Parts: sequence; C-alpha cells; structure tokens
Amino acid sequence: MHNNPQETERLISDPVPGITAEPHDDNLRYFKVSIEGPEQSPYEKGIFQLELYLPDDYPMEAPKVRFLTKIYHPNIDRLGRICLDILKTNWSPALQIRTVLLSVQALLASPNPNDPLANDVAEDWIKNEEGAKNTAREWTLLYAKKE
Amino acid sequence: MGNVPAKAEQDEEYANQTRSRRRTISNANSFASSGTARTRSKRTTSLVDSVLNNTNSARSRGNSTSENPYRRRSPKEREAFKEKRAQDLVVRFNETVDGGYLSPFGCYTLDKLDYDIDIVKTLIIERKLAPFYIPLQDFNQTWSDDEIVKIVDGLPLHSSNNVEIPDELEDLSIGDLSNPNFDYLIDKKLSKKDQSRQRSKIFKARLYQKRIIWQETENEVFLEKKLEEQLNKYLPNDALKLNLYKNGTECPICFLYFPKPMNYSKCCQQPICTECFVQIKRSAPHFPHDENVEDVDDVDKDPNLLISEPSNCPYCATPDFAVIYNQPNDRKVGINGILPSQYTLDNKVSTDTVTEPFVITSDFIRPDWKIKLNKDRLKLQRRSANATAIHLSNQLVDPSHNSATNTRTELEDRLVEEAIKLSLEEDNAKSENK
Repeated sequence: MHNNPQETERLISDPVPGITAEPHDDNLRYFKVSIEGPEQSPYEKGIFQLELYLPDDYPMEAPKVRFLTKIYHPNIDRLGRICLDILKTNWSPALQIRTVLLSVQALLASPNPNDPLANDVAEDWIKNEEGAKNTAREWTLLYAKKE
Repeated sequence: MGNVPAKAEQDEEYANQTRSRRRTISNANSFASSGTARTRSKRTTSLVDSVLNNTNSARSRGNSTSENPYRRRSPKEREAFKEKRAQDLVVRFNETVDGGYLSPFGCYTLDKLDYDIDIVKTLIIERKLAPFYIPLQDFNQTWSDDEIVKIVDGLPLHSSNNVEIPDELEDLSIGDLSNPNFDYLIDKKLSKKDQSRQRSKIFKARLYQKRIIWQETENEVFLEKKLEEQLNKYLPNDALKLNLYKNGTECPICFLYFPKPMNYSKCCQQPICTECFVQIKRSAPHFPHDENVEDVDDVDKDPNLLISEPSNCPYCATPDFAVIYNQPNDRKVGINGILPSQYTLDNKVSTDTVTEPFVITSDFIRPDWKIKLNKDRLKLQRRSANATAIHLSNQLVDPSHNSATNTRTELEDRLVEEAIKLSLEEDNAKSENK
C-alpha cells in the first residue's frame, strides 16, 4: 500500500502526549520516533529514540519498530528489537502507527519478563526485580538523555 | 484449525456456480435501459465480446478445476495464467456498478491481489459486495456541489502510485512487448536453473509494463469520453457524482474516503472498503507458534502440522472475519441497472423483497486456500523425503556404514517404505480435495 499521507498528517497535527513521530524527508515510509519513559516506571524522565518503518504491505503487515536508544528491558533486546504481540502475530490492519507507539510506551510501563526477548534481562528481572529496575534506571540516566 | 469442512464445501460450490454464472452476467452486462440502440450497438458488442471472451476462458478454467489441481503447471501455463489475471484486474470505466467498478483502484500492489477475480466480480454485480470505488484522499465538508463535481471529474480510474517499476526489475531488457515470445532475451549460456530464474524475472518485468499500458489505455479512453461534449452513457452525471461523494465515509484501514454504503464487518458492524477487504486473508501456512521448536529445520517437522488460521476481524479480532453489504437504495446504476448518465435522485430501488444478508468471508473469495495449504504440505513432504533419501543413499555409498551384511537390504527397504509413504500421502491429499 502506498503510504497514506492522511495518517502521517494526523500523526503530526494531533500528536500523542509523550510521543513524536516524524517522517523522513527522503523516505516517507521511514519515521524518526521518540517516546518519553512513562511516569513511575524505571524509564521515567528518559527520552527514547526509535525508528519505525512501514513495509510495502502496510497496513496489511505490521510496521517495523526498533529502539535506537540502549534500554534495559526484558522484552527489548540488545539490537533494540521489541517483543510485542501486535507487531507480530496479533497485528491487525486496523491498528495504526499511533496505536503501535502507544503499545510500545505501555510496554515500558509494564515489562513482561515471562515472555522475554532478552533472556538475561528477564532472568535478572524475575530473580531480583528491584535490582533489575535499578539497572534500568541507571541505563535510562546514562543513555536516554534529552538531546 | 478452526475450520468447518461443511462451510468450505459450500464455498467451493459457490465458486463453481460462479464460473457457470459468468455466462449469465455477460447477458446481463448490457444495460437495462434501451434507446439510441444503433449508436450503442457497436460499443455493446465490444463490451459483450470482451465479457464473452472472459466467459469462455472462465469456462475453460472451470473445466480445468475438475482436473487435478495439484498438477504441476509448465512455466508457460503459469505465465499465461498470471497474464490473464493481470488483464482481468484492469479497471474498465464501462464495467460499472452503482458508481464503482469491478477491479480495485490500486492502493495495493498487483502481486498482493490473490483473490478469485470471478467470484468478486460476480459478488459486486449481484450487489452482495460494495464495488471498488475510486477513493478521495480527503473530504472537506465545506466543499460546494460544484467543487465536489470538479474534484470527482479529476479522479483517475486507477492509482498511479503503484506503477513504478520495482528496483530489481528496472534495468532488465524486456524486448518487444507485442511479441509474446521472449525466448531470445534469455542468456542460453546460463545454467538451466538460472535461465528459468531469468525468464521469470523478465516475464515479471514485461507483465508490469504491459499492465501499465493496459490501464493507461483504459484511462485515456476514460479521459477522452469525459471531455466529449455529450455525456457518455457509461459516465456518471453530476447528480450521481454528488449522490456518491457528498455523503461518503472513511475506511478505517486505508484512511481513504469512499461513497457509502460500505461493507460492514459481521461481528462488530465496522465499515471496510472492498479494496481493504480483499487484502484480508487467512495466515500463510506455518507451524504453530507456541511450539518452541524454532531451531528445528522445517524439513524435520511433520508436514501435517502445517496450519493456516482463518483471518480475524481487524477491528475486534473475532475469528472468521466476514462482511455484509446492503446495496444502496437510492441508486441502481451500471450493470443490471439504469445508465449512470441517466441517473436521477428518484431512482429508488424496490425493497419489497427482504433478502437475508449475504455473508462473505475471506475464504469465500479464495476457495483454493485448502489446495494451497495441501500444496505446501506436499512440498514439505517431498523435501523431507528427499532429505531422507539423500541421507540413506549416503549411507549406502559410504562403506564404513556397511558394518552388518544385511544393512544394504535394510536401507533399500526403508527407501521403498519412504517412497510408498510419500505417494500414499499425496494420494490422500488428492482424495481429500475431491
């Protein structure tokens, strides 16, 4: 599907609080995304950079999303790949860029170490939740700074 | 798999009926209203001819469905099939139903259109599925009637977004398109496998180009007719344009603006345009996700475990996604209706006969889904049998494995067993299909 300017336009004119998504000048399928860490999560006060790419088959196929900022999270691996059902088997064409990014933000608020992508982080999270959260806080301070 | 066999049979039956019904459509294709018969006869003939041609090929295809669907088709047969499909998907301005068309506008690429074309066209003509309308990018409530008419007049028959040649096909020499033979373009020095690879690539590039030409030609005729002083009978008059586009709505999936009524999801009554609907289909054959066996090569898995789940509703995730369409009650124009150019606001459709809603699932417009699944299973069976055979013959050749004297016969027995198993499975798949 040709990327519909309508969706992009609305994304910019009616942004979600704490989330920005801007299409690249040369490639309208490629978005530069930033997500604020949710309050009361270890990611609070962090600004996380992500990239989002709309494949040719979007919206029949899910967008590709990846964290560019390093993050300590059981469902996000070292390469920034995200384990989120709606990005894979539970994708629906009625979902949008907006809903995807909201879901990613929600994943930051509630990590799910029982369905991990980063096994070592998940193990840490299950064994010693406070310690893992502290590491996540440290990483947020270290890497997810405001530009 | 959450599939009810009885339902599948019913769908297949409809598919077969559709093929024979194509003939009826061709007769109905001439418009209901008469008058100016002489000037029209030429056009009608060509229209009927083209539909009749379709009918003939549909008939021959109908026959071919009775033959083994698992038969391997030659490259030439496959090419002819693809070319026919691409031709059938050209949007034709005179094949219009209630202001829309029988083929998609082109929001999605051609190779993503894998539905049964005959079934969908028939459903549209029978007013059981919304026609493919030409969408607007946006609609502004403040537009005056004049502005709406002007904007609608500027709409092309088909999107120009998807006509760019994909990068991998760009530098290919495609030769003379009017000559169906392009063997001369193939590098005979290549290996057989590479030759057939090159052939399919060139074919793809040629088809891409041909399709653009077919649609462009149709677009040009459409434009010319629009510019003619007297309104062409197949073109909508201003009253119809306004009726279509003044009270439209947006498809929640593609964000484009369409005339109403739209198709509605059966489960949660959400609108969906036909172009998005025909994109939704069951999952491609795969092994169950929950099994944590991703390291195992597919060859080592049981092909019978290969599954394909029916599509879910994109809005509420209810399984077996289906849509319902209620035809507009204030316009019945185009095929089986009055001429689009003669539309008046009081063109009410009689609604004395309350018909039960016709429910259309994604499987309904792809009756061959089961054959595709079986084909994938067979492919995997063949691959795994080949792997076993290679493995066993290696053991035969390698004398170090020949420790026991009777190993050789044992292995041969196993090879035969494997071969029998394979043909049994292939046989089962065939009879299952019948």
